[in-house]
Amino acid sequence: MRAYQDLREFLAVLEQERQLLRITESVALEPDVGAAACALTQLGESSPAIQFSNIAGYASARLVMNVHGSWPNHALALGLDKDAPLRDQFFAFVQRYQQYPGKLERVASAPWQEVVIDKDVNLYDLMPLFRVNRGDGGYFIDKACVISRDPDDWENDDVENVGVYRLQVKGRNRIGIQTVPQHDIAIHLAHAEERGEDLPVAIAVGNEPVITLMAATPMLYNQLEYKMAAVMQGAPYRIVKTAKGLDMPWGSEYVLEGRILARQREPEGPFGEFPGYYSGCHQYPVIEIDRVSHRRNPIYDSCYVGRPWTELDFLQAMTTSAPIFVQLNSAFPEVVAVNALYTHGLVVIVSTKTRYGGFAKAIGMRLLTTPHGLGYAKIVIVVDADVDPFDLKQVMWAVSVKVNPAGDVVILPNLSVNLLDPAGEPSGIVHKMIIDATTPIAPDIRGDYGEELDMPQRTDAWREKLAALVKELQK
Amino acid sequence: MTDLPATCPRCRSTRIEVRSTSPVAGVWTVFGCATCLYAWRSTEPEENRNPDKYPAAFRLDPAQLPHLLVAPRIPPLRRR
Repeated sequence: MRAYQDLREFLAVLEQERQLLRITESVALEPDVGAAACALTQLGESSPAIQFSNIAGYASARLVMNVHGSWPNHALALGLDKDAPLRDQFFAFVQRYQQYPGKLERVASAPWQEVVIDKDVNLYDLMPLFRVNRGDGGYFIDKACVISRDPDDWENDDVENVGVYRLQVKGRNRIGIQTVPQHDIAIHLAHAEERGEDLPVAIAVGNEPVITLMAATPMLYNQLEYKMAAVMQGAPYRIVKTAKGLDMPWGSEYVLEGRILARQREPEGPFGEFPGYYSGCHQYPVIEIDRVSHRRNPIYDSCYVGRPWTELDFLQAMTTSAPIFVQLNSAFPEVVAVNALYTHGLVVIVSTKTRYGGFAKAIGMRLLTTPHGLGYAKIVIVVDADVDPFDLKQVMWAVSVKVNPAGDVVILPNLSVNLLDPAGEPSGIVHKMIIDATTPIAPDIRGDYGEELDMPQRTDAWREKLAALVKELQK
Repeated sequence: MTDLPATCPRCRSTRIEVRSTSPVAGVWTVFGCATCLYAWRSTEPEENRNPDKYPAAFRLDPAQLPHLLVAPRIPPLRRR
């Protein structure tokens, strides 16, 4: 466990661990930056973060991408060994998640107050904005934390919200925001709009890695992301209030303060989204920025989104798997682990002990009724407790030998799904499927399952010995 | 390079504005369409700048704009 104070401290650790690549040659914002970040995602699951420091048109801008974009970087963000297996990252995440709430440390000032611009704000000057994919309708800030409070419950910290929402910069101080109705900020906005008032918001760009993960986690409405970040870091989370009363991370590089304009909508999009498709255009709310604060020589942090896998898939990996696990496990303690890594959990793999025949299908149905399951889980694969759901070779073995489609595939018609799932028919409605890849047990006596293969005696001891020798051999 | 383009690459509106110019003078200009809010930089690949090269799949007809899905919906005002 480790409490990084800011993005800079984390980048220094990435560099030390050889997980940060610095590009000092001159790059054009389009198409170089998006292309380089896309290419990194094609180089395997250990790609480093990338920092550009010579960007055409800027004297001294710095831009980082892929900060969370690999399993080693994700492990380091959580303060784990960079080689931590996926399963260990999952259990560390879950164990801390269940310690909620942690404490806040309120302080009066922060480094992001070093430079303040409160008139003639020009975001294009202040940050190296760029087009991520060629069909995007403009330049998106896609990895920032947006902070808001409920106008009907303003003093209640627990319903303050920190969320990652895509932001389209449309003018020097004008930004479009995607606040899909299922997101917490949409509740705040609805209350403000019912009152006919603008909703104050503040946007934190360039943060230490844990708050970004928390802002991407589907927590309960009355759980505060900063209190979850505190348990993830093992230390009180340090925050600073804006003049409007919004709590900001102490370590942010930039803080943009403004208002979502009441009862206004404007064309927004398209933007290349997590399913690997462009989102289309919609009429979305608009933010007017009144004030920008930033550190000296700020670092702009952005994320490539494209056909999976990209950095976004790492951001949505454990943050999606852990809440589903906690909800499932509270109903059925037999559930061992949940892998919702695939396309924000459109496919989910659950491993579970089984009490009696038919149990695994019930686990699958319960998963479909969790909050995230309602909008995402479309295909659920249930495997036995001794199958690691994060090891697809094991999962495919289970599917290969434990599934008889005659009785192990359940299709439920016309259930709800996220509007961004292109398979919806109509959009937002889809059939869902549970694949029971557990071994049938009584009274479900189908199949001819005799003795499953185990390992020769002393295999564990040999594995330990050989692992060290192989490491030495390949040094 | 920085002359104001005649039409928006995406929707062909003629309401084009300069959004910003590069902090290091003379490197690029960002243009924006006041109709469909598309934005592009003078140095981008041609398919993002030239209406004739702009990919058909991403083109917009200004007449479509009022009919785009509104999300989230605007709630009724509370009675005072």
